[in-house]
Amino acid sequence: MKKKILFGLLFLLVGTLSYAQKVYSTRTAQIKFSSSTAAEDIDAVNNQVQSKFTGKTGQLMFSLLMKGFVFENAMMQEHFNGKEYMESDKFPKAEFKGTINGMSTVELEKDGAYPVMVSGDLTIKGITKPVKAAGLILVEKHIVSAESSFKIKLQEFGITGKDIGTVISNNIEIKVAAKYD
Amino acid sequence: MKKKLIIAVLLVGVLSFVGVYYFVFYRPTHHVRDIASEEAIVVSAKDIVKEFQTNESTSNTKYLNKVAEISGEVVEAKKDQTGKPTVTLKSDDSFSNVFVTLRGDKQLEVKGGATITIRGVVTGFLSDVVINDGIVVKQ
Repeated sequence: MKKKILFGLLFLLVGTLSYAQKVYSTRTAQIKFSSSTAAEDIDAVNNQVQSKFTGKTGQLMFSLLMKGFVFENAMMQEHFNGKEYMESDKFPKAEFKGTINGMSTVELEKDGAYPVMVSGDLTIKGITKPVKAAGLILVEKHIVSAESSFKIKLQEFGITGKDIGTVISNNIEIKVAAKYD
Repeated sequence: MKKKLIIAVLLVGVLSFVGVYYFVFYRPTHHVRDIASEEAIVVSAKDIVKEFQTNESTSNTKYLNKVAEISGEVVEAKKDQTGKPTVTLKSDDSFSNVFVTLRGDKQLEVKGGATITIRGVVTGFLSDVVINDGIVVKQ
């Protein structure tokens, strides 16, 4: 009898532990960015972003391929990947590695919307800078998704094409939406 | 004589206007890459993953932004969060496959284990070799 209870407790423990330690991942997160100036609005979207986070520690990563950004205007896409801006042949990836702060307040097995702060290192064009952003973790019927938006300054990442500051805004808004498997 | 000259100048003017309009404004937003008939690098899912794992930078030079025609065994066919169909093709390493986002909005009806051939634009290597703008050429 005692043994049974012990086993029962063990199962319960393992059960909750595995929830907390679960790694949530997706290969189809979405990252959009937009620049808006009087001269031109530019939008691009990448639907092939890889992302993972751990339920317990809130370790979080995103990685994406620059060539996965699709623009409405093919010429913009060409310029974006070209020598003057992203040099995507030389720097094919961008990456974020960081932590979801306050993971203890997020109940991943309970429906709800949980505001969190995310901080970590963003690497674009070979340059790594710390970033901080407010985000939201959404749980609906055991499906976990996350969203966030933040701004970066292009110059900080060594992106200095001639149209930046005039046609292209120096402040780019980045929107993240990830639905985890 | 003068009349002819004026007509000629006008004609050149109109033509260059149309040309500039077409190439600067129309074509960039309306032209869609013809994946089906573009020249493609033919390769198996197993080999392209191996190539990227062995030497990512030479593989980038070889494949990035080019059309590849890739055959392989289907691991799974799904839809991404925006509703686009995706398919994963198997390699010899179960942690690294070929991940394809297909054109259209219909989930690919294919069973795991079936062999298919797709064409698409290679965008690079994360943990998978990633293909965008994919079409199925043989199923």
